[in-house]
This record gives sequence, C-alpha cells and structure tokens, in this order.
Amino acid sequence: MRYALLVQGGPYSRQAAHSALRFGEAAIARGHRLETVFFYHDGVYNAARLAAPPQDEPHLVDRFRALHDNHGTQLKVCIAAGLRRGLLDEREAARHGKQGHSLEAPFELTGLGQLIDAGLSHDRLITFSP
Amino acid sequence: MILHTLNRSPTESRVYRQALAAMGPDDRLLLIEDGVQGALPSLIRHFGELDGRLFALREDLEARGLAGRCAAEVLVVDADGFVTLTEEADKTVSWF
Amino acid sequence: MHDESLNGEVLVILRHAPHGTSWLREGLDAALVAAAFGRRVTLLFVGEGVTALVAGQAVGALGQKGTQPTLEMLAMYDIDTLLVDQQALDERGLGVADLLLPVTTLAPPELAATLAAHPLVMNF
Repeated sequence: MRYALLVQGGPYSRQAAHSALRFGEAAIARGHRLETVFFYHDGVYNAARLAAPPQDEPHLVDRFRALHDNHGTQLKVCIAAGLRRGLLDEREAARHGKQGHSLEAPFELTGLGQLIDAGLSHDRLITFSP
Repeated sequence: MILHTLNRSPTESRVYRQALAAMGPDDRLLLIEDGVQGALPSLIRHFGELDGRLFALREDLEARGLAGRCAAEVLVVDADGFVTLTEEADKTVSWF
Repeated sequence: MHDESLNGEVLVILRHAPHGTSWLREGLDAALVAAAFGRRVTLLFVGEGVTALVAGQAVGALGQKGTQPTLEMLAMYDIDTLLVDQQALDERGLGVADLLLPVTTLAPPELAATLAAHPLVMNF
C-alpha cells in the first residue's frame, strides 16, 4: 500500500516524530511504500537543518533523511507553518532578506494542498500529533 | 472500520471521551505513547465496552515499564501490529 | 441523520478554542485549502472547538488575528456544512443562537456515521 504520514509534534519535546519514524520503518519492513511524510504545526521543526542532538540520542533529521535516501520518501514541510516558525530554505531566506537558511533538501517547503492530496491519493494517511 | 489512535492518559485529558464518542460499533482504539497508561487495570474502565477492540502498543508499554501491568482484556500489538491495524482499517484518526 | 453531513470528501474536526493554540487556525487553513482544490469539505466542531463559532470575538494579544474573519470566508470557499456536537454546546450553556454562522447540530450517535462517511478525516 501507499502510505503517507502526517507529523505534527516538535522533535524531542514530544514523542510524535519518534512514533512516526518507528511506524514508517515498520510499514516499509512490511513491504509498504512510504511515499510522503508531511510536517505541519510544530512538526515543521523536525526539518531544522542545524539540529544537533547528543550522540547517544536518535538523530531525527538523519532518520527522516534516510527514509528519503533509501526509500524515496518525500519530506514535505508546510510552507505557511514553516515560515512562521523560522523554517526557511535558501530561496525563502533570500526572499525575506535573511542570512542563512534553516531547511534544506531533501526536506522541501510545499503548500497544504500537498497534504490534502496525499490524504486522498495515498491508500493510508497516519497522523502523529503532540 | 476506522482505527482511532489515542496518545493521552484518561487521567490527564478528557480527549478519550471525544474519541469514544466518535467511534462506530466496529471501530478500534489503539493506545500509544502516554495513552498506554489507559491499559492499566485501574484505568481501563474509562474505555467502557470495547471488548476485542482496545489495543495498546507494546513498545510504548515496555518503555514505561507497564508491559506486565496491562489489563488482560487489552490486545497488545507491536509496531508491526500497528501497521497491520492500519491496513485493516479504512482510515486512521488520531486523537491527542 | 442529516444528509449534508454525509456527502463530503474531507472532514476537518476542530476541537480547540481560538487564541490559546494554533490548532483551530491551522485546521481551518487545511479546510480552506482542501476547498480551494475543489474538494467538498465538512467541518465538525466538537469539545472546545464549538467556542470557535461564538459571535463577538476580537483580536487577541498583540493584535493576533482571531478566527472570525476566517469563518466569515467559509461561504466564499463553498464550505457550508458546519456540524456541531450538541453535547459540547450544552456543556457550555451555548445554543445555536449564540453562534456566528448557521450550523447543523449532531446528537452523539451521529458523530461516528459522519466520520465513517468521509474518505479523509483530519483531526485538529
């Protein structure tokens, strides 16, 4: 089946991202295609490129990136929720006159329409909230 | 059939009531994260008559030291079983 | 069961009050975007979410926009199926006359049928 996950909890402060990764990896192990992870609400913080967790903790950004690299999962961050919270890729940073950027590929800023589309076009959408 | 997930303990949040009110007669409820506390024998009464339709996630029970303290009527599933539940359900709704 | 509660594609459940968190605003945003993409959208207000509809709201701290302007835009997006959990209104001593927009109230047994009838259910 084609799966999409919606992550709405911030990294480390809530279990949502850990739960989503555990579920996503289990779904892939069962032979499903994890096509999309969409980040909304405080979930957008999971895309922060400068995240530097202690070495003995799971590196959430790297784990999401591995889903993309190994399984082709698209990592989509709501642009409206992201910009409000300081998650900007190079293009948005330039557009807003900011030095530096806080989000980079394989995470991508997209509109909420992509979430609705994923919810209706994938076989399953599973939500992990704070 | 809808799979509902709940990540709050019934002693901490009344959201479990919203989940129960929205459940159809065949729907299933999976307790995850802090929600697994609801599987304790002293708290399970909050979930009324969900015989055979109340599940709890093993990994979250184990992480909290609650795996051996779960009420007998709760069906314990691991992450693989969670995926199976989502396969069997038409859709999944998260309560938080 | 009211027919209009069963013919949508996307059900957005709103369970949070305005101002205290962004759940209500972000849930409404998802509903508006779904409608803008041509999807038939149903809103279901339960729990504290019913307070989103109370007439006479104002801006919040620092001039933070409330949800009233968004609610007033719903008709423009053809979102006209607004379902409200009657029990949530009763608990707060509210009635449909206290609300900004015309709504359909649902008795508890109708909630499950509403969720079952929509292919996509998003809970905020």
